[in-house]
Amino acid sequence: MSDVVLKNIGKTYLNGFCAIPSMDLTIEEGEFIVLVGPSGCGKSTLLRMVAGLESITQGDLLIKGNKVNEKEPADRDIAMVFQNYALYPHMSVYGNMSYGLKNRGTSKAVIAEKVNAVATMLGLEELLERKPRELSGGQRQRVAMGRAMVRDPKVFLFDEPLSNLDAKLRVQMRMEIRQLQRKLGTTTLYVTHDQVEAMTLADRLVVLNKGVAEQIGTPMDLYNKPATPFVAAFIGSPSMNLFDANLTEKGVSLSESLYLPLPHAHRGSIVWGIRPEHLAIVDEQDADFALEILAVESLGAETLVHGVLKDGSVQGKAMVVRLAGPHNPELNSLLWLSAPATHWHIFDAITQQRL
Amino acid sequence: MIENRPWLTFISHATLMLGIALVALPVWMALVASTHPASAFGVGHIPLWFGSAGMETWQTVLFEQAGNGIDTPVWVMMLNSLVMALGITFGKIAISLLSAYAIVFFRFPFRNLCFWIIFMTLMLPVEVRIVPTYQVVANLDLLNSYTGLTLPLIASATATFLFRQCFLSIPGELVEAARIDGAGPWRFFFDILLPMSRTNIAALFVILFIYGWNQYLWPLLITTDDAYYTLVMSIKRMLSVNDGDIAWNQIMATTLLAMLPPVAVVIGMQKLFVKGLVDAEK
Ligand SMILES: Nc1ncnc2c1ncn2[C@@H]1O[C@H](COP(=O)(O)OP(=O)(O)OP(=O)(O)O)[C@@H](O)[C@H]1O
Ligand SMILES: [Mg+2]
Repeated sequence: MSDVVLKNIGKTYLNGFCAIPSMDLTIEEGEFIVLVGPSGCGKSTLLRMVAGLESITQGDLLIKGNKVNEKEPADRDIAMVFQNYALYPHMSVYGNMSYGLKNRGTSKAVIAEKVNAVATMLGLEELLERKPRELSGGQRQRVAMGRAMVRDPKVFLFDEPLSNLDAKLRVQMRMEIRQLQRKLGTTTLYVTHDQVEAMTLADRLVVLNKGVAEQIGTPMDLYNKPATPFVAAFIGSPSMNLFDANLTEKGVSLSESLYLPLPHAHRGSIVWGIRPEHLAIVDEQDADFALEILAVESLGAETLVHGVLKDGSVQGKAMVVRLAGPHNPELNSLLWLSAPATHWHIFDAITQQRL
Repeated sequence: MIENRPWLTFISHATLMLGIALVALPVWMALVASTHPASAFGVGHIPLWFGSAGMETWQTVLFEQAGNGIDTPVWVMMLNSLVMALGITFGKIAISLLSAYAIVFFRFPFRNLCFWIIFMTLMLPVEVRIVPTYQVVANLDLLNSYTGLTLPLIASATATFLFRQCFLSIPGELVEAARIDGAGPWRFFFDILLPMSRTNIAALFVILFIYGWNQYLWPLLITTDDAYYTLVMSIKRMLSVNDGDIAWNQIMATTLLAMLPPVAVVIGMQKLFVKGLVDAEK
């Protein structure tokens, strides 16, 4: 049975700003859904609507088949982890984790049992008596998750829970969240603007752009078959090389003098793209085009080469190439590249849809 | 700032000691004066060392009668003062906590207007509205009663404002977390808000207790029955007997007794008080 259903959900703020025009999403039981998008696209708004912290101005929200539009957050059987953790500063870790259960009239013995079980799972046994200010950032994060877990809710909601942690801890907590979620099997809605976090955590991703879901699908779907140039640019790092181009009988025309052969081409303006990792260095005679190298970023395992396309025009188009392993090409020299047609992404320039 | 300059240390200590001496000297003199018999003051100089009548004076004043035309013993007036001071303090804190709670956390029409109206009452302390307030209290038959002593002084814009600032600094996420944890308005108030503002409450308690204890004009006006006299106002009354007959020893003993409770409150709550003024633990 589907767990959480968003039917034609919309949000217009009191000041008349329409943050979410209309959105449909069906989340299966135990699924890990990540909402991702640039800042201000309405991720938090959507999550808070599911939580009940923001009113729903249009459409229906169903949790386990029940319409919960008008229900208080506490009655929706959800638990939320906030960006700044929002731990009660005057309560101990135990107090923080047990507060929700206490308010629901759970007996002391049951509370103690549940809190202890969760604390063991998260490695918080030693810290139960401490106050939040006596904890490190990572520990606070864990307590915040523990507080959500003890209630054993139907849905977990996370709003950028890792953005206050340092890079290393973030990677570790990311793995932990994923493992815990698998173990508990709780349906999860997770907001982030970090596409790596999104790709690694999600069963399915929702890419939001100005309140509209550009594409919903598995991370690999989105990577291999982005539906729009926006998704193509957003998913993957460094992001896809995208160019405005034309389809002509000679193939894809990136500029007056540069054509990439494509049989049975229609005519029209398109957006043509290829990921940095799909460009390959070849000999001059096999190359599709040449890149003038402007900068090289060596990361050890891979090398990112930034350059401009040598296509005869004065203002070259910027392009990034990602090469495996260390390379040391000379600046301002030419790099001959081939762009295999199997890895092309072509979008209609007008409808912005994948062709 | 840690500095090690002997001169600076010396001067700052000397200044502090001078300050202490200035403050303590009158208290010392009052203490000494209370131990001399009433007749010792006619001769024109003030004694600087303890006399022999101490126990006797203090006992009379405290348990029998305050003297100088006031027949009630000091302990009764002390009790009156205490009831009034605590009534005012708790009343003010309770009311301003609740009004600040409403103003900060609830959306109701004319919310801001309400706040500004409360804020404007800052301009209307008892002294300004004393005649109409007296009228109201008299009409309600509250002269010579504890209710009459405390009620008109309870509303407090200052405390409301202070709590409003304190509540506003509580992060919105915390409020939402409590909502998700199933805390209704009352639970939230008692479980989250009160404990989080307890240092503020303590600081206010000290300030308001002293304010209440030192009330003079209002009790003077509405108490005509000895049984409701408060300590601070009665001292003035004790001075209004004929010049030659003033029993200074009794007055001094009463004065010292009047100083004790505020001092006790300040010392007792010093730690919380300072914490409340300095940090808010958020
Ligand atoms: N209370 C409000 N009233 C009016 N507009 C709002 C309100 N809250 C948010 N918005 C607007 O709604 C849009 C979406 O906001 P939201 O907080 O959901 O963004 P977000 O995707 O979470 O961004 P970020 O990644 O920066 O957190 C923004 O353009 C914002 O300005
Ligand atoms: Mg947000």
